[in-house]
Amino acid sequence: MKSVLRIFAILGLASSLAHAAPDGAQLFANNCAACHQLDQMVVGPSLAEIRGIYQGKPDDFVKWCVAPQRKRQGAIEMPSMVHVGDEGLRAIYAHVMKVAEGVTVKKQQQGDPFAASREMTKRPQVQRIFMPDSGPASIAVAVDAQHSLCWDAGACRLRYMWTGGFIDGYPYWKGNGSSLATLVGQVRYTEAESPFGADKKVKFRGYTMKQDRPTFHYQVGEMRVSESFSAAADGKGIVRKISLDPTPASDLVLHFPAPQNGTVKVESGQWREGKLTVRPEQASSIVLHYSFP
Amino acid sequence: MKRFFLFSLLLSLPAWGWKESFSFEQLPNPEGVDPQVGAMGVMPDGRLAVAFHRGELMCYDASKKQWSMFARGLQEPLGMLVENDHSILVMQRAELTRLRDTDRDGVADEYETVFDDFGMSGNYHEFAYGPARDSEGNLYIVLGVASNGAPMAAEIRGEFSEIGRLNRQQMSDLANWKKNSGAAGRMYARVHDRGWMIKISPDGKKAEPYASGFRSPNGIGFDAKGRLLVTDNQGDWRPTSPLYSVKKGGFYGHPASLVWKSDWDGRDPLKVPVKELDAMQEKAVGYFAQGELANSPTWPVVIPKGSFPDAWVGATLIGEMNQRQLVRVIDDEVDGQFQTAMVPLFDGSPLGMGNNRLAFGQDGSLYVGKTALSWPGSKGLMRIRWNGKEFLSVDAVKALADGFELVFSQPVAQESLAKIAVTRHTYEYHAAYGAPKKNLEKLPLQQVERSADGRRVRLKLGALRESYLHSFDLRSVRSQDGNQLLGDRAWYQVVKAPK
Repeated sequence: MKSVLRIFAILGLASSLAHAAPDGAQLFANNCAACHQLDQMVVGPSLAEIRGIYQGKPDDFVKWCVAPQRKRQGAIEMPSMVHVGDEGLRAIYAHVMKVAEGVTVKKQQQGDPFAASREMTKRPQVQRIFMPDSGPASIAVAVDAQHSLCWDAGACRLRYMWTGGFIDGYPYWKGNGSSLATLVGQVRYTEAESPFGADKKVKFRGYTMKQDRPTFHYQVGEMRVSESFSAAADGKGIVRKISLDPTPASDLVLHFPAPQNGTVKVESGQWREGKLTVRPEQASSIVLHYSFP
Repeated sequence: MKRFFLFSLLLSLPAWGWKESFSFEQLPNPEGVDPQVGAMGVMPDGRLAVAFHRGELMCYDASKKQWSMFARGLQEPLGMLVENDHSILVMQRAELTRLRDTDRDGVADEYETVFDDFGMSGNYHEFAYGPARDSEGNLYIVLGVASNGAPMAAEIRGEFSEIGRLNRQQMSDLANWKKNSGAAGRMYARVHDRGWMIKISPDGKKAEPYASGFRSPNGIGFDAKGRLLVTDNQGDWRPTSPLYSVKKGGFYGHPASLVWKSDWDGRDPLKVPVKELDAMQEKAVGYFAQGELANSPTWPVVIPKGSFPDAWVGATLIGEMNQRQLVRVIDDEVDGQFQTAMVPLFDGSPLGMGNNRLAFGQDGSLYVGKTALSWPGSKGLMRIRWNGKEFLSVDAVKALADGFELVFSQPVAQESLAKIAVTRHTYEYHAAYGAPKKNLEKLPLQQVERSADGRRVRLKLGALRESYLHSFDLRSVRSQDGNQLLGDRAWYQVVKAPK
């Protein structure tokens, strides 16, 4: 192999990596440009704003770049630029001061640019997102334009229902999920625990969709449960249907509190003081009609 | 004189390789959808499946330039595996889900929970990635850890670990978080199996914790030789972003996850001596030089035939969020140790940043899906096509006892080799966020040997150092026809040095 190789010696290469002054513009392009634009905030503040803060303070600039902290509400924390080195950071500083001279900061667009889109406004709607007053594996459901509910896929239970609209997911969607969605409307009904009791072992199995409405499937002990939600025919509430498979061998007591603000009617079984007693033959179709003012 | 110099400089600048050989096309975004891409796959019928930030999973028919909705309402899908034209596995924050179109109307009607037996603290940084599928059908997912940029939520899913300086109440105390967050660790894993890779049986019924020590592993996939690759992000315990070849039982460096090890002794991982953690950790098989090659590497894919020159087929390609380029991985092996060189791809092209997900279409097109999620990035999709024209590239980097051998795609001009510059450095493994280069040294070229066909070049540099990242500046290299390199830098991590 060696014989087929042509050989030539290298002379005088030792100085090829001489100590040239760092190129501030190049270092900026590699390390900073992804987050910092000239005249408007993107991920981090604009160069115009940075110039306003650090003009005449190169030491403070370097200090910040080596050990940045979270300063702005809703913005991510800048990662340390320690790998650039002191000399490099000073070159970046000089570059920023130069290019941002005389530049003014542009105003940013406010609000959700997709708020009015078909995808965001269609009803019914199912949306997994971080929700207030629920577990982290939550699913928001709008059954129609006015009636919505929060299903907790971790605890396998309905958390609450509300009227007046659906959610504003923009606090979550505008960033990386560091904020919860907010409810549009007013909570009318809350369940503090599963209708099957708080101590049962549960397992979420997912949901099926029919005409954009979900039926949740989960396991309570050995029992398979399906639970679906749809809009009431009169447009004033939510119809909730629970079916058990297999049906229990004896009467079953389920816990359903009364709505804080509204009424509930059951199609079958005895509902008294927050307890619904269903006979085995009724357990394949337990239907509750919630009406809200 | 100056003008003449500039003129001759322009003449001597050969065309960039990408311009001669590749086209970049922006795909139309679906209407009314935030086009930040979290997951991509290709359906057997040729359509591209794309999952977006707000949970839409849509299919793109490139021949008609049309989008259609397959599923909606997912939470932060960050990985998918197309099973067939009617079934897609997708990893959401809360679970691995099988989306099935059972009535064949083109829209999923089943959202089956395949696996959700892992903790969620409600912290925004707990992203979930995968699945990758092995030759036996087992699925692998990998769970990112939480950031102390925010506390845990009041309600969590799964078990809470008491190991750590803050108790459960303090961990979710938003009012006092600013004061307490330092004690949480920069990234934390206080709920079940965060920072772990989980192996799930083909039927979804059995799951086992497979490997630990992950931080924010935004890339998982098998390479052409069946190695399970994971990329992770620079940060605490990550001096620069690593590439791992994951083995069962391995610990991959970020200690927060250790509290979920079945035989863990109960110590706070942040109080374990760094030396002990260092001895426990598996070594990265490659490093993405921070600020130079990649700051936030993403998804690995295997290059199929027809999409790039034949010499690249089977190589791994990886996306990158911050730098306006992709990363091509060049495999090497020393005494059975897999290790890699990394080379930028499409630097200086219209690619842009935010390159979160990659997928190859059946025609060999490379699709790049972009995102930002408030970090540096972009949105939308790009289609990149090779026109079949060859170009100059580094196709192999082989570690030798006294240097490296580089193999080029075309014969290179001998006089262009003298200015190749090689340096090496290492990194300190520590809790701090990122790290500067350590022991950076220049390696003078002692000798350059070029093979008779002009394609193989041996750089004699002296003995290689293990655990050092060897950087090659190849900007001076020209083909005999005067072509510049497509990818004129390379970084080779020497895990094992040849004797």
